[in-house]
Amino acid sequence: MTNTIDTSIYVAITEAIQGEVRRILSEGNVSAVIGYAAARRKGSAQPTVIVQPDDAEKLIFSAACVNNLAVYLTKAKKEIPKTGKIGIVVKGCDLKALVGLMGESQLKREDLYLIGVPCAGVLASTAQPAQPLTSDTIAPKCRECDARLPTGCDFVPDQQPVIPELERRYSAEIARLEAMPPAERWAYWKEQFKKCIKCYACRQVCPFCFCEQCLCDRNKPQMVETTPRPAGNAAWHIVRGMHLAGRCAGCAECERVCPMDIPLNLLNRKMAKELKELYNYEAGFEMQEKGPLATYDEKDDQSFIK
Amino acid sequence: MPMEEQMHSFEPKIIAFVCTWCTYAGADLAGTSRMQYPANVRVLKFPCTGRIDPVFILKAFQQGADGVLVSGCHPGDCHYIAGNFHARRRFAVFRKLLEFVGVDLGRLQFSWVSAAEGGKWVEMVTDLTERVRGMGPMRDFEELALEEQWSGAITTPELQEAYDSI
Repeated sequence: MTNTIDTSIYVAITEAIQGEVRRILSEGNVSAVIGYAAARRKGSAQPTVIVQPDDAEKLIFSAACVNNLAVYLTKAKKEIPKTGKIGIVVKGCDLKALVGLMGESQLKREDLYLIGVPCAGVLASTAQPAQPLTSDTIAPKCRECDARLPTGCDFVPDQQPVIPELERRYSAEIARLEAMPPAERWAYWKEQFKKCIKCYACRQVCPFCFCEQCLCDRNKPQMVETTPRPAGNAAWHIVRGMHLAGRCAGCAECERVCPMDIPLNLLNRKMAKELKELYNYEAGFEMQEKGPLATYDEKDDQSFIK
Repeated sequence: MPMEEQMHSFEPKIIAFVCTWCTYAGADLAGTSRMQYPANVRVLKFPCTGRIDPVFILKAFQQGADGVLVSGCHPGDCHYIAGNFHARRRFAVFRKLLEFVGVDLGRLQFSWVSAAEGGKWVEMVTDLTERVRGMGPMRDFEELALEEQWSGAITTPELQEAYDSI
């Protein structure tokens, strides 16, 4: 059964964002705002950077605003001008990523002006941008979202998203895989990883993949085969899963941009689930100075160690 | 009395990542005490278990290891105060990841062996070697390495025909 999801609040949110951006840019303490603008294709949206108050009317928010804009801050952080703050439009999931980055000292809260968006969900990568948001076209991450209303932002439009209860696909898929014997799981992932073409789009789009030199690009010693063959692909995805464990905020951008439709976020969700069970860690809106793998407790479980 | 020699059809390759302060010294003690243990183990010495990156374990499997042993100081005994505490968390998470990807965790063993526990080292190596021997060779990563890229697979009759006509 297809349920339409109410996105009428996005109109009011768009207006509120435009007004706020016009105000902060004309007051001058924010030098640029990263947000979404309408793109050429009907209904679609693309990231944009606004520096002039008059351009604020270009900003929109709709169900097609899928990108996590936090990536523009990690990968271009050196270009953040020394004078003035950077404004950024964030959905709940994007804010979690930003908070994670602040915890890792990649960004400073005082350099940012956060415009939070009460979000009723965005479209899946398989949907056309002009399609209405329904229980079929909504992104899988939004089905399990627990962060629709960002907190701790400088400005949040006063709107309440209304969301029907949706089937939780990641949880169901993780449970299905966990119930398999290891050999079957290996066969499943082998098929998935085999598709990989090593385009590294997942790495490019990930706000947390900010290493100056990726371990997987190094060839002395070479830890991960760089060619797009099954062995190197599996190694890349395992290393990626490990490096994001305890850090991934669940924006699912990796999965969205994957041209080969590898269920990348499944690995990340599984790791998040384990981190929650093992160390009671969850990505959230509260900044944590140290991630679960950067700290320890003397009483940690060691039943697996002889 | 000399030990009875037994012939096995399969000798597993075991890679042991050990910390230099405890387990390496423990293995050394086993040697100087003339304890016998399977020669299948290849010991790699690290400054600390905290230095052992999970990617090393992955690499060991890819390079043909049938089993991997990771061993270091008991909690609280780390030469660098907290290296093994950090390692403990990292490995707890990594083995969950490997399990989810479908690697049989029977091939991966973690242990704490102090410099005085030569006997425990012998026990660890013997246990793992015999267990892995029972499980047979690790084929998963080897098969993966031999597999062709997805685009190389000729999966349909049309593709086969096109391929034959070249």
